[in-house]
Amino acid sequence: MEKVITSQGIVDRSKDIGPFVPEADDDRLICRCEEITKGEIRKAVHEGMYTVTEVRRYLRAGMGLCQGQTCGRFVKGIIASELGVSPAELEPATSRSPMRPVEMAVLGHEV
Amino acid sequence: MKRYDLIVIGAGPSGLSAAIEAAKRGLSVVVFDENEKPGGQLFKQIHKFFGSKAHKAKIRGFNIGEMLLKEADAAGVKVVLNATVTGMYLDKEILVRQENAMVHYKGDSIIIATGAAENTITFDGWTLPGVMGAGAAQTMMNVMGIQPGKKILMLGSGNVGLVVSYQLMQAGCEVVAVVDAAPKVGGYGVHAAKVARCGVPFYLSHTVIRADGNEMVEKVVIAEVDAHFKPIEGTEKAFDVDTICIAVGLSPMSQLLKMSGCEMEDNPKKGGQVPIIDDFGETSIPGVFASGDVSGIEEASSAMIEGKMSGICAAEYLGYCTEAEKESALARLEEDLDNLRQGMFAPKNRGQAIELTDEGIELSKSLLTKGYMEDADMERFPGVTHTKGVHPVIECTQNIPCNPCQDACPQKCIMVGDDITALPIIDEERACIDCGMCVASCSGQAIFLVDEDAGEGQATVTFPYEFLPLPEKGDIGIALNRKGEALCEAKIVKVKTSKAFDHTALVTMAVPQEQAMSARFYRKENN
Amino acid sequence: MTININEKTADVIIVGAGIIGSASAYYLAQKGLSVIVLEGSKNIGDGGSSRNGGGVRQSGRDPRELPLVMWGIENLWPTLSEELGVDVEYTQKGNLRLGKTEAHLKTLKGLADRAIACGLDVRMIDGDEVRAINPYLSEEVIGASWCPTDGHANPLTATLGYYKKARELGVRFITGEKVVQIKKIKGQVRQIITENNVYESDKVLVAAGYQSRKILSTVGIDVPMEALKMSCLVTEAEPKMFDQMLGTAEADFYGHQSKHGSFVFGGSTGFEGMDKDNGRPISSSLGASCTCRGIMKYFPALSQAKIVRSWSGWIDRCADLVPVISPVEEVPGLYIACAFTGHGFGIAPAAAYNIAEMIADGKTTIDISALRYDRFKPKL
Repeated sequence: MEKVITSQGIVDRSKDIGPFVPEADDDRLICRCEEITKGEIRKAVHEGMYTVTEVRRYLRAGMGLCQGQTCGRFVKGIIASELGVSPAELEPATSRSPMRPVEMAVLGHEV
Repeated sequence: MKRYDLIVIGAGPSGLSAAIEAAKRGLSVVVFDENEKPGGQLFKQIHKFFGSKAHKAKIRGFNIGEMLLKEADAAGVKVVLNATVTGMYLDKEILVRQENAMVHYKGDSIIIATGAAENTITFDGWTLPGVMGAGAAQTMMNVMGIQPGKKILMLGSGNVGLVVSYQLMQAGCEVVAVVDAAPKVGGYGVHAAKVARCGVPFYLSHTVIRADGNEMVEKVVIAEVDAHFKPIEGTEKAFDVDTICIAVGLSPMSQLLKMSGCEMEDNPKKGGQVPIIDDFGETSIPGVFASGDVSGIEEASSAMIEGKMSGICAAEYLGYCTEAEKESALARLEEDLDNLRQGMFAPKNRGQAIELTDEGIELSKSLLTKGYMEDADMERFPGVTHTKGVHPVIECTQNIPCNPCQDACPQKCIMVGDDITALPIIDEERACIDCGMCVASCSGQAIFLVDEDAGEGQATVTFPYEFLPLPEKGDIGIALNRKGEALCEAKIVKVKTSKAFDHTALVTMAVPQEQAMSARFYRKENN
Repeated sequence: MTININEKTADVIIVGAGIIGSASAYYLAQKGLSVIVLEGSKNIGDGGSSRNGGGVRQSGRDPRELPLVMWGIENLWPTLSEELGVDVEYTQKGNLRLGKTEAHLKTLKGLADRAIACGLDVRMIDGDEVRAINPYLSEEVIGASWCPTDGHANPLTATLGYYKKARELGVRFITGEKVVQIKKIKGQVRQIITENNVYESDKVLVAAGYQSRKILSTVGIDVPMEALKMSCLVTEAEPKMFDQMLGTAEADFYGHQSKHGSFVFGGSTGFEGMDKDNGRPISSSLGASCTCRGIMKYFPALSQAKIVRSWSGWIDRCADLVPVISPVEEVPGLYIACAFTGHGFGIAPAAAYNIAEMIADGKTTIDISALRYDRFKPKL
């Protein structure tokens, strides 16, 4: 398998990453807030979702109440594994406010 | 909108230490913490800390927390609790949720000390109720007074896994096993020994295969793994449990730094995403600092020093102290930090296969792979002597920065020296007076007072005891060896408590002479 | 179709892998053309495509773009999920633009009248009718414009769905390739120069949102637009309340409840265009709170809904508030599709379809001559 992410950070999404091969633990829950399984994430990579952000937007993995606190590392590792790269080569997800869920009435009540 | 010289986010050991240093130099400081109690992780640390006096060794974590709070108060630091910083924006502005309102604040400098969160691990059944982080279990027990479960399997043999296993037993839970996929115990040998002598088996090179149960965990299956961490068929072992505690490391909670635009790096050695900082905590945004676990997973003692460094740097940044003052203060703190980062478990030695202590003594392989030392291992170490009468037997066999034992002995029987990672040595010329201070002061509970010939074919062994109910003088029970196996009959001849021992009771049992160097713990009959 | 991954040429090269670039690539590939899409960031659809509020609306639009969006809603949106093999969550349950004062209603009626003249089914309704459609709205609402054929969809899955399908058809998407210059060779557009490579084609589509302006300037073309930072927020999943798309006359907020149950809302502080940033569309401390107050004025029922995330993005705001979708005859082979001014999502399928026609066939199903690049005239 050729290097999917070049040293300049260029990623040609048509480079062959091999076919999706079902695995025994594909039904393992990874994102428990949104109930996304390992197989769904692996399949998404083969459908073209090569980044943590793309997988998040495509599947909602990391969009739940915990905002990826629990599943973030796994999602990154699974994507990296499918791409044949080290997790360190993938950009992590973005962090945004509010850091904890806040009720609308409270967020709208600035003093 | 209020503007402070320094805003500190996180009232844990790092944040409070930072705030104190800054406030002492005249800055207006406010500390925000989302919890209802300050002290971060300190308040659930009921065990005694390691290190030297400067590092607050032999003091229980929550006491250190109380001390820091008092100091902060005295220095005029404002600590606002139940205050969640929901975002950090340009111009060093933050938005804080306080009760039902959002309040804006700005700082001329900001120190982020938000600490870390527990990692998790997936296996079949990991989402069943009963699977929880070891830290969560610790909070439940030590802060909320709730037993996390009745029968618990601990996954992870780092210090968190070992310390929490012990605390679970103190809370009356049964720990059925400590499991780790690594081939060696990850945490201090003395922490492992404390747990092993209670009879908890260690399964290194094992992993959790699955958790079974209907509505909650009822059973856990583990299996041995090969060199590639793949389960080996046929090695499955099942345990009936209602709880699985996961202690597989921490990740920095660096989201605020990230959202505000600090340059970050993904550093596995530091536990995950951390801000890129200079030696004293300043991030890529001038005036924004990070200290403690959020800048790299270590421990409370280093977090406190890093906090102080950031606090002093913020003070100088804002002109409250001169550069010269800053440099000299930082030099002292750097030395303190360096002293902590030595020894077998130092960050620089992580991943190294260490076979010998600094003194050239062969480490106990049994301790590393099973959690307990073999009798034969003991004699190699300088803390183990055989003088007549009551004498200390120090089963501290790894180089870690720690020396309360040296200061504890009024007779100066115990010596560690300037390099606090050195193994403690017993000066056999000095006479032990059986005061028990060394036993109580050892945070690793690794010191025993032994009289190998107490008369009538008996020996006495004094050991530290931190369980309730305490045994009573005259009780007859079973002496356990380092593995927690029943050894022989034991009679309790003395139970000593003292304010100076800080809640560590000293229990003395009489055992047959030949068991003097093997009997190290005790349980009642019919337990 | 075998793809030679070392080729730096294709029938069409597209700059920008947002929904416009990705969907145009898809429709071009369907016509049998080879396409390379160059995306400067690390992610597909990282600009407005993944940050907008998901509205698929006709009402409130300028007549110059109304035929295009209406055609798309009629012909493309209803079967898009099936076509792409991805659930784009298209929901056509209408759009309520709410008013609390007579002045609001006057504004709304003006917009509605213009749209009716273009054949759109939109009408004004009173407060009671509004609450009959959506019982969660405050008693203070006195009326609204109601367009039953408007709706909403999921911009994230729609963008990535177009990308996925285009990729399946052989389109080459390359991320991390930031285009810095377009160059004419012998009078014809030819070279697309990135920070690291040079690509070549006789047909180039620039669909890079606000960044299009800088890229186009390298070949002597300008699109008068500014970047406005806008913010949105999303709640946790709530029990199903309503299906309509919502907006207000005053633009306090707009949004909808998604299939997932979470509410996605956008709003404005009034500081758009002057809002600071650090090179990235970083949120200010004011936006989310302001939007919440806007929402609660109309939706007291949502006051306890928890906001889990907020974000910002840049709108490529055109001088006359409608996009540029156009061939550029003075640079033969160059095509532009940008400046969608914050309402590019709903019109994207129709726009992309016609862009593909424009590039491949030289003529389009819908007359888009009003969106030409050379239309800009000063006031006198």
